[in-house]
Amino acid sequence: MAAGVLTKGLCGFCQPRIVAAGYSCSGPLYATATAVKTLPLQTDSTAVTDEIQNLPLETPDFFRLSELFSLKDLFDARVHLGHKKGCRHRLMEPYLFGSRLGQDIIDLDQTMVHLQSALNFTAHIAYRGGIILFVSRRRQFGHVVESTAGDCGEYAHTRYWQGGLLTNAPIQYGPGVRLPDLIVFLSTLNNVFQQHVGVRDAAKMNIPTVGVVDSNCNPSLVTYPVPGNDDTPAAMELYCRLFKMTINRAKDKRRQMELLQGLSPAGLTQGSS
Amino acid sequence: MKKWTRKKQLHDVAKERTEIHTNMAALCKVVSGPRTGACVFPKRAIDICKSLYSTDSEETSEGKAVEETQKPAADKVKSGFAAAYEQHTDLQQRQNQTGTTVRLGSTRNEKSFASLLRNSPLMQMGPAKDKMVIGKIFHTIKDDLYIDFGAKFHCVCKRPTVDGEKYQRGSRVRLRLEDLELTSRFLGANTDTTLLEADAFLLGLIESKDAKTKE
Repeated sequence: MAAGVLTKGLCGFCQPRIVAAGYSCSGPLYATATAVKTLPLQTDSTAVTDEIQNLPLETPDFFRLSELFSLKDLFDARVHLGHKKGCRHRLMEPYLFGSRLGQDIIDLDQTMVHLQSALNFTAHIAYRGGIILFVSRRRQFGHVVESTAGDCGEYAHTRYWQGGLLTNAPIQYGPGVRLPDLIVFLSTLNNVFQQHVGVRDAAKMNIPTVGVVDSNCNPSLVTYPVPGNDDTPAAMELYCRLFKMTINRAKDKRRQMELLQGLSPAGLTQGSS
Repeated sequence: MKKWTRKKQLHDVAKERTEIHTNMAALCKVVSGPRTGACVFPKRAIDICKSLYSTDSEETSEGKAVEETQKPAADKVKSGFAAAYEQHTDLQQRQNQTGTTVRLGSTRNEKSFASLLRNSPLMQMGPAKDKMVIGKIFHTIKDDLYIDFGAKFHCVCKRPTVDGEKYQRGSRVRLRLEDLELTSRFLGANTDTTLLEADAFLLGLIESKDAKTKE
């Protein structure tokens, strides 16, 4: 059942994405077949491709993602509301602004910083042609997450997570499987208030993770935690919209850069917008 | 005769300043339309305005060889109507200045998270017990109504026997809150167990038909 849900993301052979020679994917399960395919590329075009790859790294906010959201938007989407004091996870205490009549309030100033860095990382991964997997086990938001993934051309997994999905992939799905380069958790918990297995497995497989951590979640294994509410539909729709816009922006930028490369292979002009 | 010409000059200068103000405000509004980190613009606008003022005063003083018209550079003390007029024009200019800066600042939210939180309805409400709120039904399953009232969680209420068919998706209802989140610590547990729901008592519909008939 679960195998059928994951679409062409795990078939390494039908990936039309451009892979630069110098870019190394995460984990030892990187497809050797695609590496063979990149060999016939000429050396001067790989140099230009390297230049395209490294250009966004020169500016801190190359994709200008700070325009996408503001403190007021986060506040109106109720991102600052946490669970009750009794549900609090000890490791979330640094991210909390305080507690009001027993309900924890998440510090939105910290959330802004974390969300900015998480979106920036996602944009860079999307720019480099990485595979992004959206994971959420909240049944209430399953459809929103799946439609978000479809809209930006990435993948989603909102059903039962089989134990060996990441750790046992070559045996379960065949040899030469490409694993996701980034996993975005829109809720890091299972419904039974255990942490989602994917968080631990991604850490095992050296796959970076972005995760929305509520006041009852454990942020320690998530690479880019974003402290925020994961129970309100308004907040979830905001996150989905932000991730979708980030990924689309990054991919459009990449296409624009490649077009420029096609027109003038000798010199690259700085991205205009 | 001398007083009359001085007053006329004051009036002209005041007119020019207000015109410059409106032009600068329009310019800054147009410029700060696209959000390109326009925090720099208000400062620049004030600097430009100030420089314009200074050139104005220089020109008038050079041209007419009369006492300066700007208050900070005033040597001769004015009395009577002239002083009052100057004071009021200065106040008006300062008001316009602060008005433009406030307008430019509020296009980007300047309120801190602490002030937003402090003034939010959730904080103003206090303890949730026995508070009246208005909610909106966003989902119905047979007899269960899922009502969202602006807090972290929604509440689930049974469809009342009176006017049961009127409670559909999108209808607004009155609620009496009991708890914002149903949690409890069970024996042997490390953390509370939460139901991911709020608890409220359904009072009734908000009659939108009455508002329509009134209009």
